[in-house]
Amino acid sequence: MLTNHAIVSQIYTEVSRLIEDPSQEVSGDTPLLGGDSLLDSMKLVELCLTLEDKASEWGFEFDWTSDAAMSKSRSMFRTAGSLAAEFISQMEAKK
Amino acid sequence: MIVVTGASKGLGRAICDRLIEKGIEVFGLARNFDGVPFASMGCDVSSYERVKGVAQHLKKKGVKVTGLVNAAGIASMNLAVTTPQSVAQKIIHTNLLGTIYCCQLIAPLMLRHKQGSIINFSTIAVALGLKGESIYAASKAGVEGFTRSFAREMADFNVRVNCIAPGPIDTSLLKGITTEQINKIVSQQIIPRQFKPDSIADLVELLIDSRSDSLSGQVLHVGGA
Repeated sequence: MLTNHAIVSQIYTEVSRLIEDPSQEVSGDTPLLGGDSLLDSMKLVELCLTLEDKASEWGFEFDWTSDAAMSKSRSMFRTAGSLAAEFISQMEAKK
Repeated sequence: MIVVTGASKGLGRAICDRLIEKGIEVFGLARNFDGVPFASMGCDVSSYERVKGVAQHLKKKGVKVTGLVNAAGIASMNLAVTTPQSVAQKIIHTNLLGTIYCCQLIAPLMLRHKQGSIINFSTIAVALGLKGESIYAASKAGVEGFTRSFAREMADFNVRVNCIAPGPIDTSLLKGITTEQINKIVSQQIIPRQFKPDSIADLVELLIDSRSDSLSGQVLHVGGA
């Protein structure tokens, strides 16, 4: 079973792959929404679909359409870190 | 596979029958699917959770969804001022929110392989502003607006979203409307004759086909309005 650290790392790798700019280092603070985001809306959806597939692989369902996804102040898409945290939280809730 | 809502009767059923006749695999959704002779599942589209259950089911089965036809709908011909709140809510929930929920939850199955066609349903009542159909028309005007914006959101993924707006087609939805009323509406169409479910099935066939690759975000008025 992957550690949470390894899962976070995989999520950042996916974000990085979608950004397509090797000079941009992805960290927990990397914004996924708003003007500073390096991902456009299409890439963000692709990221969600990838995470959905990974979740299936790891035996749970990743719900990216929950209320929390859209709330501006607590959206899981605020940053790469908040997305990873929500992903892990959903995974742990399904255990 | 094409997912069709409202598949047990009326336009939805006619569309399913046509697609099956053309060798296209169909998965029908309906509140009551007893006796439906093709793959189907019970689903009230006004329930987000039920629609989500359908999307999860299709994903688990690894089905390749290439189209969605949102034919489920209800009508209530009445003046807005005499329409009970519960009826108004039911019309908006089924026609507008039901369409939105199905698009939100089933579209991701198409985004994965960057191909698909979504067909929503409006009505001529929107274009003509028909008396006695204000709440129904409001729900469908919402569907038209949603279709145009959603089409832009889906375009990057090669998923097309269009809307068919029929006049009075001979189905159970017209129950309670007199021939005189139907004729009056039909006379306001550009082509003033009542079309049959087959004409709608023709359009659906075209819109899910690659021959209509250039069309998205359009509202097609059957009979013209």
